[in-house]
Amino acid sequence: MRVVLAIAAKDLRQRLRDRSAWVIVFLAPVLISALMAMAFNNNDEFRANLGVVDLDRGPAATGLTQVLDSPELEGTVHVRSYDAEAAARRAVDAGDVHAAIVVPAGFTESLHGGGAEPVRVLDSVDYGLQAQLARAITESYVAQVNADRLSVATAVATGVPETGIPELAAKAALLRLPEEVRAQGLPDDPLKVISYFGPSMGMFFVLFTVGFGARGYFIEQQQGTLDRIAAAPVGRGSLLLGKSLSTFVYSLAGLATVTVVSWLAFDASWADPVGVAALSVAMAVCVVCLTALVISLVRTEQQAQGLASILVFALVLLGGNFVFASGTTPAIRTLALFTPNGWALRGFTDLGTGVRGWDAVGAPLLGIAAFSLVVVAVTALLLRLRRTP
Amino acid sequence: MTALAVTSATLARVLRDRTALFFMVLLPVAIIVVIGVTVSGFDQFRIGLVPAARNGPVAGELTSELQEAPGLRARTYDTAADARTALRRAELDAVVVVPNSLDADVRAGRSVTVPVLVEPSGSAGHGAVSSVSAVVAEHAARLQAARFASDETDGSFDDALALARTAERAASPIVVRSETVNGQSDFLPLGYSYSTPTMLVLFVFINALAGGAAIVQTRRTGVYARALAAPVAARTLVFGETVAYLLLAALQSLLIVGIGALAFDVKWGDPLAAGALVTVWALVGTGAGVLAGALFRTPEQVHAIGPALGIGMGMLGGCMWPLAVVPDWLRSAGHAVPHAWAVDAWTTLLSRDGDLAAILRDLGVLAAFATALLTLASLALRHRLTTSAGA
Repeated sequence: MRVVLAIAAKDLRQRLRDRSAWVIVFLAPVLISALMAMAFNNNDEFRANLGVVDLDRGPAATGLTQVLDSPELEGTVHVRSYDAEAAARRAVDAGDVHAAIVVPAGFTESLHGGGAEPVRVLDSVDYGLQAQLARAITESYVAQVNADRLSVATAVATGVPETGIPELAAKAALLRLPEEVRAQGLPDDPLKVISYFGPSMGMFFVLFTVGFGARGYFIEQQQGTLDRIAAAPVGRGSLLLGKSLSTFVYSLAGLATVTVVSWLAFDASWADPVGVAALSVAMAVCVVCLTALVISLVRTEQQAQGLASILVFALVLLGGNFVFASGTTPAIRTLALFTPNGWALRGFTDLGTGVRGWDAVGAPLLGIAAFSLVVVAVTALLLRLRRTP
Repeated sequence: MTALAVTSATLARVLRDRTALFFMVLLPVAIIVVIGVTVSGFDQFRIGLVPAARNGPVAGELTSELQEAPGLRARTYDTAADARTALRRAELDAVVVVPNSLDADVRAGRSVTVPVLVEPSGSAGHGAVSSVSAVVAEHAARLQAARFASDETDGSFDDALALARTAERAASPIVVRSETVNGQSDFLPLGYSYSTPTMLVLFVFINALAGGAAIVQTRRTGVYARALAAPVAARTLVFGETVAYLLLAALQSLLIVGIGALAFDVKWGDPLAAGALVTVWALVGTGAGVLAGALFRTPEQVHAIGPALGIGMGMLGGCMWPLAVVPDWLRSAGHAVPHAWAVDAWTTLLSRDGDLAAILRDLGVLAAFATALLTLASLALRHRLTTSAGA
């Protein structure tokens, strides 16, 4: 055991003397996470600044304005009134409001039948979601007006004489839509950008350790260090274990640094610190397995660097480290579950939304373990094949 | 002539390296695909739809109207629990649960509430609720008309509902019409037209930086020292390496432009302006790469610091997200790196049909960056070669 620890300590000392190792595992993920936290600070709030132009000046148009100012939309919609359509257009064009609703003259009059001008939503190409919201609010309001008109028309179609239309219209005006939506809040914590991208960037850079470890092995082989160690009374197993331990400690330290800094400095939140630790340990073990795989696959330092880089970028690309996995397509989210980092990010997402314990990290730990076992099996097979003449 | 020999030797070495080709071609294209797919559909709310277990015709009609609503991107879930999990993971903005008793309640004349689940603190969810409300209200209008007509005539609800559907087409309802005022976008178009130009900016720079490792390696193996022992001037070596890096950056840019145009249907805008931008950006990348090769002491340093620096600068400069969505101070800080000016210029070309004159200011700033980097790189590399025999 002492030999294992001595080899691991020597490797760690050697690595920590290299300033580039500090940059890649400790400094870069923290700085990039910080950049993301600053870029998206308070930016996850969706807000629509909407302009209203009331050319009708009747009670129906006032009703629409009251809907926009209703408590349900408070915090989401901010309304500004404009006297003329031209002013609203200028405001949308300048980005002062995201979209504007123009209620035409005669809108109130149209409630009593007859034709009506369309209600127009002036929007901007850059604010599609806000335009969609403005349209939806307007359509919901206009739907009641249309429902009353349709009620009269349907009654006439079923055989009510047309002479009774004024009476029908008066009755229909008192109706309320029989189907409505009620919003219900979930009790979960909202997922913060930093709670996702902190560990995401940590894993991205920690995976570079695979290249460092594999290159280090071939450099030592080239320099004869491995042969000299083998000449000493040190088993091959102790040597392997010592080197694996140093890679494990180094990777775990990198992940721990980025999660702790994200938590303390940028207010990242995960429901369960034990879950965070378990995911970090599992990923560090996986990095050790991947390093062994790369060593078993290549024969030179350059090949090790190349293969490790390709492996790392393929994993982070599939696993969702470059994009916010929740915002992408179901197909890409499914692909992520073929990677250990994709599973780990799923676990961090669940921890970030208030889920604790095995419910949050059970499946991710099993996913990472399965991936690591496959890597170990392939590595063992390759080493056996290599020894077979 | 000797400089060109240096250039061709460097080019041959890089193009023979399959790992370098992966980073030059495959990786950028893969990232373009992933980011291109992710940054699309931002003009729709994402909703999860849980259909009623007992799906009568009225509930079925509401479900299909929600699925087909243009402002909503609906995904159907078998159970409410699955949909809630997706909502918790921010994969959805809201979840609509169509009530099991919808048909029975409507026929019995009872009012129906359609529950929509949202994250209470995420206001995108409340925006999604409004969009769902619009679809439900349109559906409810027919139910109201059918109930009103069947009450007035004592007829059947289902017959009246069928008449309401017919009458709806003839009733000339008041419509809501959209009109786009501002056709000049401040952002790159969504999808591949966003990911391709931004990844061109990111990867040409990162690859050039990583390429600096080859110069460091050549220095350390003593190739430059041996070359200097022959009648070859240091400036010739510097010039030859610079031209090689410029050609590699230009080649990678052309590959991305070509793949973008052919595979992803990216319209690169005015060819003259796009050509000028690609050339100036290749010069910026070349300067950064040669400077890295002159300043770093080991290839490991380049491999460790290069990607981190490149990704960080790319993020600051708006390659990963539009600078229009970040706070003002960060947008200003972002323009300290050349990437922001390149992304601004691509936005002008792709979103505003700009020409050479429209991006002249961005090109000027980029040219200044390129000049400064190339000058520094040449001086630093020459100094390194002449003072310490390349080591």
